[in-house]
Amino acid sequence: MTTTAPIGHAPRRRRRSTAAAILRPAVPYLVCIGGFLLAWQLLSLLIGVSRLPGPINVIVDTWDPYISQPFFDDGGTSKGLGWQILISLTRVAAGYGLAALVGISIGGLLGLNRFVGKGLDPVIQVLRTVPPLAWFPISLMVFQDANTSAIFVIFITAIWPIIINTAVGIREIPQDYTNVARVLRLGKADYIRSIVIPATVPYVFTGLRISVGLAWLAIVAAEMLKADGGIGYFIWDAYNAGGDSSSSQIILAILYVGIVGLALDRLVALAGRLIARGGR
Amino acid sequence: MSASAFLTVDSVTQVFPLDDGGEYIALRDINLEIRRGEFVSLIGHSGCGKSTLLNLLAGLDQASIGGILVEGRQVTEPGPDRMVVFQNYSLLPWLSVRQNVALAVNRVLRQAGAEERRQRVEHNLRLVGLQQAADKLPSELSGGMKQRVAIARALSIRPNLLLLDEPFGALDALTRGNLQEQLMQLCQEAGVTTVMVTHDVDEALLLSDRVICLSNGPQARIGQIVAVPFERPRHRLEVMQHPEYYTLRSELIGFLQQQRRLRQRRAELERQAEQVRSQASRATAVLPARGPVCTLPQASRIGFLPGLDVAPLALALERQLFDPQAVQLQPVAFNSWERLGQALRDGEIDVAITPATTPLRLSLGLDGHAPWPAITPMTVSRNGNALCIARALVEQNVSDRASLRQWLDQRQQPLHVAVPERHGMTELLLRHWLAGGDIDISNQVQFEPMWPLVMESSLRKQQIDAFIAGRYRVAAAVQERHGQVLASDHDIWADHPEKVLTCGELWASSQPETLLALCAGLMRAAERCDDSSERDALVQVLSQHQWLGQRASAALSRQFDRGDGRGLPMRFNHFHADRAHRSDPAEGCWILTQLSRWGWCPFPANRLEILSQVYRPDLYQRALEQAGFASLPLSRRAFALADGLVFDQDDPLGYLAQLPGQPTPAVRPLPLQAPSASANANATDTAAAAGSSTSSHR
Repeated sequence: MTTTAPIGHAPRRRRRSTAAAILRPAVPYLVCIGGFLLAWQLLSLLIGVSRLPGPINVIVDTWDPYISQPFFDDGGTSKGLGWQILISLTRVAAGYGLAALVGISIGGLLGLNRFVGKGLDPVIQVLRTVPPLAWFPISLMVFQDANTSAIFVIFITAIWPIIINTAVGIREIPQDYTNVARVLRLGKADYIRSIVIPATVPYVFTGLRISVGLAWLAIVAAEMLKADGGIGYFIWDAYNAGGDSSSSQIILAILYVGIVGLALDRLVALAGRLIARGGR
Repeated sequence: MSASAFLTVDSVTQVFPLDDGGEYIALRDINLEIRRGEFVSLIGHSGCGKSTLLNLLAGLDQASIGGILVEGRQVTEPGPDRMVVFQNYSLLPWLSVRQNVALAVNRVLRQAGAEERRQRVEHNLRLVGLQQAADKLPSELSGGMKQRVAIARALSIRPNLLLLDEPFGALDALTRGNLQEQLMQLCQEAGVTTVMVTHDVDEALLLSDRVICLSNGPQARIGQIVAVPFERPRHRLEVMQHPEYYTLRSELIGFLQQQRRLRQRRAELERQAEQVRSQASRATAVLPARGPVCTLPQASRIGFLPGLDVAPLALALERQLFDPQAVQLQPVAFNSWERLGQALRDGEIDVAITPATTPLRLSLGLDGHAPWPAITPMTVSRNGNALCIARALVEQNVSDRASLRQWLDQRQQPLHVAVPERHGMTELLLRHWLAGGDIDISNQVQFEPMWPLVMESSLRKQQIDAFIAGRYRVAAAVQERHGQVLASDHDIWADHPEKVLTCGELWASSQPETLLALCAGLMRAAERCDDSSERDALVQVLSQHQWLGQRASAALSRQFDRGDGRGLPMRFNHFHADRAHRSDPAEGCWILTQLSRWGWCPFPANRLEILSQVYRPDLYQRALEQAGFASLPLSRRAFALADGLVFDQDDPLGYLAQLPGQPTPAVRPLPLQAPSASANANATDTAAAAGSSTSSHR
């Protein structure tokens, strides 16, 4: 017995330490998020549940239908949050895709051609600081259509980081790589294919990642102003309805907006990593 | 330019513009020829322009002045025939090892079939032993493996010229050793001409046929070329056991150490010069601002001994060729070189026209004085000396060196020769010439320093048998029929440096603008001195009493009589043409060999350090530009004196060994005076001078 006792002890101790190893990284999240939710609940109790619902109230108020049935469709604009997010994502996809296409092309041109790059730089520097919603009225006037205008706002918001990062990426191609190209006398097409594109990919994806965040910011704002459907519309609609669970609906939608934004950001980052690692 | 050179670097100067509008001269006047199949290393401290030169060879940059020829064609752009292995490998990180090599092969062998290209890639990967790693990305490789890929990529396209930029710098010792041997083998098998930049002395010795040592930048030049005679194929251990290995190694390490000390010295000097300048300006600043502000520079005192050599100075002052904004000169005449040297050391004069030996002798402290750091930015005159023998000797049939020797052999007493200065340039020339005629210098000749002024009368009174002096003195003696010319510069060393401008190192660095303006003025005047149509005007200037007085016309007569009836004109002093002004360390090196040959000092093991400190071709070139003349590059070519013996500045000891008569002198380092020790005395001098000159303005 005396010999087995230590053997019996050892696994138990190890098991305990394995559990601790799994739990330990989660501890800060659990503690901090728990604290945050607690503070929120307390705050809501303090100023009144009707004005600021606490987390428990939010879940209770919106469980049916918004959380339990994300894809219900009662016709018109009364749809589940899943649908609303999908509508917004479609718009973002159109505007952002267009921005990526046009932005990379223009950025490439600006990076390769020093003359154009220098000449257009002031224009870009001015336009890129314009807030997304400032574009909205003019695009409404031009396109006469809320949906197209929203897509345009996404486009114009997302394009600048892509242009700038692509151009910088090309200008910052390490001298070593261009020296290799010069010594081997690579032609222009070869040079772009073998050196410029692979060397610029990380920069382009940095731009794309900044842009996707901006695009998501812009769509919610644009939809709040004027749109049929979409997560931004949902928030504004809930506010206007002014029902008992309005504030809970708004808070839930905000949470969804945040999660989707985070997911988009990580998705683009992942795509960038995959492409940069896999060669051209 | 010989036709056999595969690669020729022709007077290359590389200038980079700076952001503040100035320019940085990275390389100055690089001349180099490389044979086909040769392995050459460039070595030097960081910032000496090694990589700049390599980029020029590759065609990645274009030289500001001069050019590079490969097989007779100028390099204007990079190309795969001159493949580069870059310092940081320059592999494309998104391509696998095989793809990296294939990129080069596919590009260069476009016309070959796919199978041939594939085989070429595989073959070269096998050469460097990387078949296993062929599909890895560069980020997955160690430094040594990356470098092997870069070498494989370079060799795969079979370049004519392989350029390596510190290829093994970042590797650990073991990997480096292996790769060095591999590279040596590969280069030899491929027969490729290779230029490698390195800072590793052992690596350079193991791999190279020649090692090119570059001096410190800015304005880096080729300081020394060391030939490595080991037979190929080489193996590390055999090379290291070669009897010459450690000699060569210490030569290279010595070079690098000397360059490092020089750089520290320059920095220290710059700091002190700054101090002196601020002291001087403080001395001016305490003056109450009364009356017109005097912006003229304080007068610089220039010492000289009357002679034809002062012609440029006299003419420049007369014609006002000095920039008055930068330099005000006060000429001070001396009657002996010893006195002038003393005045220079004591700060009584700032700068002087001295014999060519003076700057080195001052710096080394050869005459029983403490070493005093001197520099020479330019040569003032060349030629102009003659050996004059007394009539009595002529009457005893002494007419040339051979008859002089016969005469001496019969005579019991030594030849009594007056020289203007003990251990000076004239004595060196005379000793060299006499020794070349098998005359036993130590027993048969007695040298006596004498004021040049009294030489002629001593000859007349038969107190001396002969004297060697400037043509001006000799002309007078011949004219009075007291003597006859036995030899002139032409018989000893045509166009030898005779007088140089000498000043203290600290004065030069604290008054750089003054010094440059002084040099530029002398150069402008020297051009006129060389012009025979100006000669009458020159006679007029020199006839003024403060220069030569009445005898100027005799000294400058066009057909100078040797007095032996042969009527051969003696060479005139040479002031300007053919780069006469150059401040040439090679000539200084010759002087060093002679100083040690006669046992006045050991031959300095740190000769390059001494020569780079004393001889300042950089100042010479800037002064030339300021004077408005084309800045002609200095040649590093070996030269020969009249005896035909070739003097190569890279092998002074070999030259000494060929000279007749004397045992090879001791070789040891001669420490240079640190700038700080002499600086204090000088700084107070300058400050005092600033004070006195400012008070005189009041």
